[in-house]
Amino acid sequence: MLEARLQTGALLKKLLEAIKELITDANFDCSDNGIALQAMDNSHVALVALLLRHDGFEPYRCDRSLALGVNLLSLSKVLRCAGNDDIITLKADDTADVLSLTFENTDNDRISEYELKLMDIDSEHLGIPDTQYDAVVSMSSAEFMRICKDLQVLSDSVQIDVTKEGVKFAAKGELGSGAVTLKQSANVDKEDDATLIELQQNVSLNFSLKYLVNFTKATPLSTRVTLSMSGEVPLLVEYKMEAGYVRYYLAPKIGEDN
Amino acid sequence: MSLRQSRLSFGPPKPALVASTANSDKNEAKVNKDAGSEPTSKPSEEKSKTPSNDVEMEEEETVRGGSKSKKRERRLVDSDDEDTAQEPTNAAEETKVHASTQEHREEELATTTKKLKLDAASPKKPKTQAIEKISQNPLTTPEVTDDLIEAAEKEEAELQAAQADDIEQAAEAVEIKQAAAKWADMFSRSSDNLEAASWKKGEPVPYAALCQTFELIEATPKRLQILDYLVKFLIQVIKLSPESLLTVIYLSINKLCPEYEGLELGIGESLLLKAIAESTGREMKKIKADYAEIGDLGIVAMNSRSNQPTMFKPKALTIPHVFKTLKDIASLSGNSSQKQKVDKIKVLLVSCRNKEAKFLMRSLEGKLRIGLAERTVVVALAQAIVLSRPDIKKISKDKLQHELEQAADVVKSVYSELPCYDLIVPALLKGDIKGLQEACKLTPGIPLKPMLAHPTKALTDILDRFENIAFTCEYKYDGERAQIHKLDDGSMRIYSRNSENMSAKYPDVMERLVKFAKANTRSFVLDCEAVAWDREQKCILPFQVLSTRKRKDVKEEDIKVQVCIFAFDLLYLNGESLLREPLSKRRELLLDHFNEVDGEFAFAKSMNSTQIEDIQIFLDQSVTDNCEGLMVKTLDGTEASYEPSKRSRNWLKVKKDYLAGVGDSIDLVVIGAYIGKGKRTGVYGGFLLACYDPDREEYQSICKIGTGFSEQDLEDHYKELKEHVIPAPRSYYILGEGNRPDVWFAPEKVWEIKCADLSISPVYKAAIGIVDATKGISLRFPRFIRLREDKSPESATSSEQIAEMYKDQKLNTVKSDMSKGVDMDFDY
Repeated sequence: MLEARLQTGALLKKLLEAIKELITDANFDCSDNGIALQAMDNSHVALVALLLRHDGFEPYRCDRSLALGVNLLSLSKVLRCAGNDDIITLKADDTADVLSLTFENTDNDRISEYELKLMDIDSEHLGIPDTQYDAVVSMSSAEFMRICKDLQVLSDSVQIDVTKEGVKFAAKGELGSGAVTLKQSANVDKEDDATLIELQQNVSLNFSLKYLVNFTKATPLSTRVTLSMSGEVPLLVEYKMEAGYVRYYLAPKIGEDN
Repeated sequence: MSLRQSRLSFGPPKPALVASTANSDKNEAKVNKDAGSEPTSKPSEEKSKTPSNDVEMEEEETVRGGSKSKKRERRLVDSDDEDTAQEPTNAAEETKVHASTQEHREEELATTTKKLKLDAASPKKPKTQAIEKISQNPLTTPEVTDDLIEAAEKEEAELQAAQADDIEQAAEAVEIKQAAAKWADMFSRSSDNLEAASWKKGEPVPYAALCQTFELIEATPKRLQILDYLVKFLIQVIKLSPESLLTVIYLSINKLCPEYEGLELGIGESLLLKAIAESTGREMKKIKADYAEIGDLGIVAMNSRSNQPTMFKPKALTIPHVFKTLKDIASLSGNSSQKQKVDKIKVLLVSCRNKEAKFLMRSLEGKLRIGLAERTVVVALAQAIVLSRPDIKKISKDKLQHELEQAADVVKSVYSELPCYDLIVPALLKGDIKGLQEACKLTPGIPLKPMLAHPTKALTDILDRFENIAFTCEYKYDGERAQIHKLDDGSMRIYSRNSENMSAKYPDVMERLVKFAKANTRSFVLDCEAVAWDREQKCILPFQVLSTRKRKDVKEEDIKVQVCIFAFDLLYLNGESLLREPLSKRRELLLDHFNEVDGEFAFAKSMNSTQIEDIQIFLDQSVTDNCEGLMVKTLDGTEASYEPSKRSRNWLKVKKDYLAGVGDSIDLVVIGAYIGKGKRTGVYGGFLLACYDPDREEYQSICKIGTGFSEQDLEDHYKELKEHVIPAPRSYYILGEGNRPDVWFAPEKVWEIKCADLSISPVYKAAIGIVDATKGISLRFPRFIRLREDKSPESATSSEQIAEMYKDQKLNTVKSDMSKGVDMDFDY
């Protein structure tokens, strides 16, 4: 039995927006820790892992671990019926084949109830190893989104170089080339805009911009984003929320020999 | 930027896969770097290797195994010994499963014994070889899948094709005999290499196992060997996962359901290219370049994938899963179905290993191109069913051989009556060969393949063939074959020659069908020709007019082209199949049970004289009556039965353009070409031809051509024409809208061409302004005869001549508005 009441319904709406382009169906794994989701896009190039910790809900109750298989497009359609300020309650029985959603407005005079059919999704849990990254860049999420969108005009991939001076995003395509460099800054006045770099070793990696742009759909969830990179492992793009996170992993592009 | 998208990989998810984790990999790499034992300039290679040691190793092994088996095979082929056929399978299975030396020795023993046997029976051999040569010729094999050839094959050089058919049929009989003998031999010696399957009993069949079989089949041109591979695989399927047998059969013939249900694959190449690009992250440009070079999407997909490191390895594909997804893809339609299709293809592609991507892509394209004819699949199915009987080892060799031969015949004949694996396969699994004949019979509602006629060159051929045999002549109507079914429940259906349901195309005929049958008919299957009919003149209109009828969503009130049905055979009546009855009986029943209705339904006009003069008069009469010529059929005896799907010598056709004196050749100039695909990769696949108008000094496009070329011809043309490529068409080329070849040529080469017909075309411009103010003339079914080195482009056939040839044809004058949208030519 799951019962989870979320004070700010907008959070759930934003979360769905952040992942539904990448993934069509996924299991919401509910346990007493909270609600988690992990899924790969169908090309096996990117992975999404999100977590909503139990303390983000008030109240949160989950007696037994449950996997709720959901078509994300359908869920986001249902969530469109919720107002931004609505309180959202998720409920599911242990054996149920539906997820019930209740939306209450702030004045508590309008209550809407929806039920979403669940599906059996055959998915295996993938162990993501803890990695010590060579470079961790923490920056403004809006800035990251802008860079990705700007560079997408030029090419479908971007090269990210991190040195101790700063981080450089560069793209080269048929119509020309472009690069954006952000210098390491400890901008105390505007904490949100600062670019911070923790560096063990310089890195230079290539990534598909299509995926990065897709990841930036999570921008509304957090003002900050961290990019963690190492030579041969996937890039980790993380958006932290008050009680949880959305993490995207993206495999780097590798040189083509022909 | 030359980049490739790698797949997400952290480390193996399951301990089972662990060769090393990503971290330790990385550490290793680092250690290497630190120690300086690896030059640091090679990180990219490391990168691609390290994340997927396990996969790499597996692939490497298969590659090694593959090349090994190929090498051995080559040796075998060189030694020119047909009966060593099974060895390559063994070699391949050896790599797949554990090599068993014991088994191998046994096999070798078997080969030697058999060699002795075959030497004794060698008189058969030369014939088979000759036949094989013929069937390898790309122009006569049915397996050639190039669009161009396929389209052309239907009518092109029917004479040749039919001859080849004959020989092939004979060859097949011999082959079946040989195969049966071999299997009988093997089983009586109780060899048990069938346990070498790569999956366990009850599990779904892995797609890889099928692909493995395809791979073996593709590598050999020998039909006997192909049959051998397929039988082996089917036995495994029957023994381990019989529920998958039906889907295996469908995937082998690359179909999704019986033809009459109309669900087909054949996804456009742009969509497939997109799926490859999206699932591998390669640039579209590169994939397209690869495609232009290789000409096979399957191989492009496979190559795009094979350098791809994977770690979170998706689950292996299974046959039921692949088949279901293919069916889903084919059934998708409407809004955003394109995207959904690409998504589904991507999911499959991403799970493909080794060679799977190659065959998956080809399946999606609708062309498997491994040289596996449906006939072979049917025979293999029959033999596999017999050989997987539990008591098979107890049966004596001779008896087994006999049973195998018989089984192949039974399944073939049942399939020709009831072309529906959905019914045949379960019946076979349940009731064996004997049960099949009782369970599966000609059934109204399931179209059977029509019987076809053999072409003849001269009337005297007919007398030669039918000496001392009763025969009859019928008009050969120039229309569309139509098989009309009435079911027991009273519903009616019309099927085309290719078993498509055409009921929607002929709502008017459907309406009237009731009138044609007399009250004493409950159910029937009629074989007819639907012909365009001019109600005012009360005469037959040419095929071109019929082809202007819409194919779908036809509303009765919109119909402009009226159709008359000419019935010439009755295959089924009131619950009884008449296939084995002689034509005389069938015709009698036909006349007894149906009514002619003026201008709507008629019996094919026939004549029973055996005098050649009468036949000549009848032929001339048929041509005057706007028919194509005559059909000549045996009337009585066992040779007068209806043979579904066969091009039989018991039916001969005499077409006016086959007869000597008709169909003068034409000399045309090559002005453009289309890049070849499939078998024609690397050369031009088709050409654009033009005639010359000396008055206006211009070249006018007349037709595309893709038939009549030998492989050598194509290569020669490619070499010669390459010299004359020009970047844009000359200003004096007069072209229609659709005339867009991939390359243009300066007017240099003149070819001699023959064709079936000339027709008015909105697309081509030959003789424009002479016969029709805005339309030109095109050739129907053109075929290449030879290069005219003695002719200059200016001395090519002139527009004036073309116009004259068109007028000389004994066709009804096609009103210009009738021919609108008629394009006699085919797409590449």
